[in-house]
Amino acid sequence: MAQAFTGITIVMSAPTQTNKAFVEEFKHELVNSNNAAYKVKVVDLGESEKLSVAENSDLVIALGVKALEVSSKLKPSTPVLGVFTPLPVFNDIMGKSDRMLGNFSAIVLDQPYSRQMALVKTMLPESKNLGVLLGSTSLQYGEGLKDEGEKTGLHVNTENLAQESDLIPKLNQVLQANDALLAVPDPVIYSRETVQPILLTSYRYQKPVFGFSQSYVKAGALAAVYSTTAQLAKQAVELANKSQQSQNLLPPPQVPKYFSVSINQQVARALNIPFISEDAAVKKMLQME
Amino acid sequence: MNDSRKMRFDLVFLLSALALSAQIGHAEDMEHPLSEHDYLDEMPRVLTVSRLKQSVADSPSAVTVIDRETIRASGAVDLPELFRLVPGMYVGANAGFVYNTNHAVSYHGMTNAYPGNMQVLVNGRSVYTPLFGGVKWSELPVALMDIERIEVTRGPNAASYGANAFFATINIITQNPTEVSGSTALLTHGNGRNEAFYRHAGRVDGFAYRATVGYRQDDGFDRRDDFKRTRFLNAQTDYQVGLNDNLEFEIGLTDGERGDGTVEDLILRPHSTQVTDYHGLVRWKHRLSDTSDLQVQAYHSRERTDDTVTSASLKDYFLGEAAQETNPVKKATLTAIATHLGIDNLIINNDVVSERSDIEAQHTFTVGDSLRAVWGGSIRQDTMYAPLYLGTKKTDAFDLQRIFGHLEWRPNRMWTANAGAMLEHNDFTGTDLSPRASLNFKPSPDHTIRLGVSSALRTPNYIEKKFDWKYTAPLVAAPYTAIMQQKIADDGYVDAERIVSREIGYLGKFGGMHMDVRLFSDRLMGMIKDRDRVITAPVGVLLLNRQLNGSFVADSSANSGDAMAEGIELQTDWKLSADTRFLFNYAFVHIRETQASLKRNFTKSMPEHSLSMMLTHRFDENWDGTFAYYQVGKTTQLGDGDPVDLVRKSDLRIARKFKQANLGGEVSFVVENLFNSHYLEFADYNEAKRRARINLKLDF
Repeated sequence: MAQAFTGITIVMSAPTQTNKAFVEEFKHELVNSNNAAYKVKVVDLGESEKLSVAENSDLVIALGVKALEVSSKLKPSTPVLGVFTPLPVFNDIMGKSDRMLGNFSAIVLDQPYSRQMALVKTMLPESKNLGVLLGSTSLQYGEGLKDEGEKTGLHVNTENLAQESDLIPKLNQVLQANDALLAVPDPVIYSRETVQPILLTSYRYQKPVFGFSQSYVKAGALAAVYSTTAQLAKQAVELANKSQQSQNLLPPPQVPKYFSVSINQQVARALNIPFISEDAAVKKMLQME
Repeated sequence: MNDSRKMRFDLVFLLSALALSAQIGHAEDMEHPLSEHDYLDEMPRVLTVSRLKQSVADSPSAVTVIDRETIRASGAVDLPELFRLVPGMYVGANAGFVYNTNHAVSYHGMTNAYPGNMQVLVNGRSVYTPLFGGVKWSELPVALMDIERIEVTRGPNAASYGANAFFATINIITQNPTEVSGSTALLTHGNGRNEAFYRHAGRVDGFAYRATVGYRQDDGFDRRDDFKRTRFLNAQTDYQVGLNDNLEFEIGLTDGERGDGTVEDLILRPHSTQVTDYHGLVRWKHRLSDTSDLQVQAYHSRERTDDTVTSASLKDYFLGEAAQETNPVKKATLTAIATHLGIDNLIINNDVVSERSDIEAQHTFTVGDSLRAVWGGSIRQDTMYAPLYLGTKKTDAFDLQRIFGHLEWRPNRMWTANAGAMLEHNDFTGTDLSPRASLNFKPSPDHTIRLGVSSALRTPNYIEKKFDWKYTAPLVAAPYTAIMQQKIADDGYVDAERIVSREIGYLGKFGGMHMDVRLFSDRLMGMIKDRDRVITAPVGVLLLNRQLNGSFVADSSANSGDAMAEGIELQTDWKLSADTRFLFNYAFVHIRETQASLKRNFTKSMPEHSLSMMLTHRFDENWDGTFAYYQVGKTTQLGDGDPVDLVRKSDLRIARKFKQANLGGEVSFVVENLFNSHYLEFADYNEAKRRARINLKLDF
């Protein structure tokens, strides 16, 4: 297992602002963690698909799905940690590669449902029924969501969409019967094209939407749990340090350890939801955890 | 390998613990359904500052919202019928002898057959007609099933909606095309009534559309010439352009025949008219930043009535008058007119064409968490061609410009202050300012107390400002060459009416019950009333007008008299259970003159007591029912109205939903005036009876 030290290689799917910010935050956190042993190299897949430079790194951090997919093809002795990857995609990629847990892991984008339920309860303490729309990608999460809801005192009602044309009628059904809508990532349901009907319809019902990203909150969802680039970078540094101490062995995929809450205060006000600051919401949720 | 299996098991364990059960080991090589883009990419901003409205608790006015569910439950087929559910509002079907087929809808009185003291908007487009001032409800190209909600702002609101938001503002909002999909057909058959509508809506990426066509046939009241046949088309699109822009288009077309006139009128006999209306609207919404939006909208509308009417025999009329006349001089004159008339039947061109072009821009923004503001301006031109009423074949133009601003300040959770003003200039009354201010105190999230004062103007309409309505017939009897009757001869010296409304409002939530109480005091100044105007006969014309102190006089309008309208309104929406809802509305409105004598029966132009209630219950997944009761105190309405007694009306609706594969829908049965009380509405010529109808709605 042991090999020559060559440092950490960060592979970016594309040189997006988020990815570049991650690199900066990662380097910053690394210094903060007093780990001077690691050197950080950055590869941009947009410029070169050849990843040979990353071979023999102590750790490859793959930013985004494309980077993870390409990195999964590196020698299994090179550990790969995915960041900015949804869990089902991570599983997919691992399934298709020769990779195994131990040398392949991720800090996934998915926030644990317990955390999302805690947010719902924090924003709407009196809510009882939570609606969820599921498509073919997200269908598998229905049961887990229901179980997690029970623990928080929320009755999770799911509606399954067979096709995109079911969206409006199913959305109406869910909004009629529930106190709020919890968005679960599914490309058929939550896309750039559907954000307007979903948010307008929910606003018409005066029911809040809980999103899964900061962008959805900016678009008009009431709130979302998400992790900032800095928070993900901090966790990645922790993992890197740990793997350095355990002969480059990676722990299993993790959900984000640190999180933030984004609240659209204008939407909250329009829905007559009592004011709570983002920091106060996080505090309250941490108490619930 | 063993190791790896164990690790995978651990992963599954971890994931299920996180409620993220995972499917591992897909073999197919396909594009991943999700990626980081679903989480990290920018999204179009939907609920921008201008789309988010004030919550009712922060609102400067009392608001009644009639939502889709209420519209459905009411069983109404005519849009204005819904306003019976608004406390303080009066609805009279088919009022008056001109535009017979239209409802009179008014708030706090001064009701005539064409009440013009409310602003009425359909998707931001003003639809009141400047000729009489009212709204031609039956010509609006709007299907009830397309309405998302109706917001009625009770009380003057010029700062937000312009000058004619005098007593109240009705804001009809149809569903955004993105919120509908598929096809819907709705068929109605009942006593004197047949309707058919078809709607199709869809979405292609960011482009959403909805188109509705409809046909309405209504035979009207028994003793009236008020049938109507209406065809209409309405189409709306919403195009999401990039992350920050929306383009919306709307077109509407209406055409059809209507019954008009009355046997009691010598000239405007029962006959049919043809209406042809259209409008087009374009709206651009642009997000300037997270805290500010710009909206620019422009629309054009045109309403045309083709109306040629032939009078009764003038000769018979004058002979009949002569036979009844006892004064020998007058008798001889009437007989002479009858025998020397150049024609026997007058053929009147009563075509009316009115157009409106309007462009408006508004900028909404927030500053920090506590300030929210909107300001903007608009330019409008109305044109009017009405040869009979205006006495000219020239088209008259009316220009209006306004700028407005509104500020909401929420220093903390307990207080909200609203202030706003509108500055308007128009061709009829010059430049005026209408300010408003209110303060909301919220001791707890469930209770709000509101104090407000608001002023507004009502610009005179054409009937009050520019009518020169006369009938002329040739006469062959030297020195006379014609006879003439001048019905209305406005001198144009009429200014806007002004209202200053003070109110104390309370909003409360008690469990499932929402309550809204409003105490109001409206001070009305410079109310426009009829005034006799002395006219002189043109050379060679024999005037038939009535005489006063030896002079001929005709009707005109003038500002004269002040009044107070005071009272209380109550509105409750009570969710008795998950399946049962009870709406109850009550209004007490007392009108008194405070200066001079106002129009005949002015103080009786609003029922002192009116109430409406609606009980809806869902029996099971499929069946639901509604019982509604409306009670309106006695009234004596102005212009074409008569004394009518207390009205009691009960409506019943039973509906059953069904769903089969790709076809869903609802069958409903509605009985209006269940107990068949033969009540009179608005005037003694409108007698309502029991009417039943069946509706079939299909979604496919």
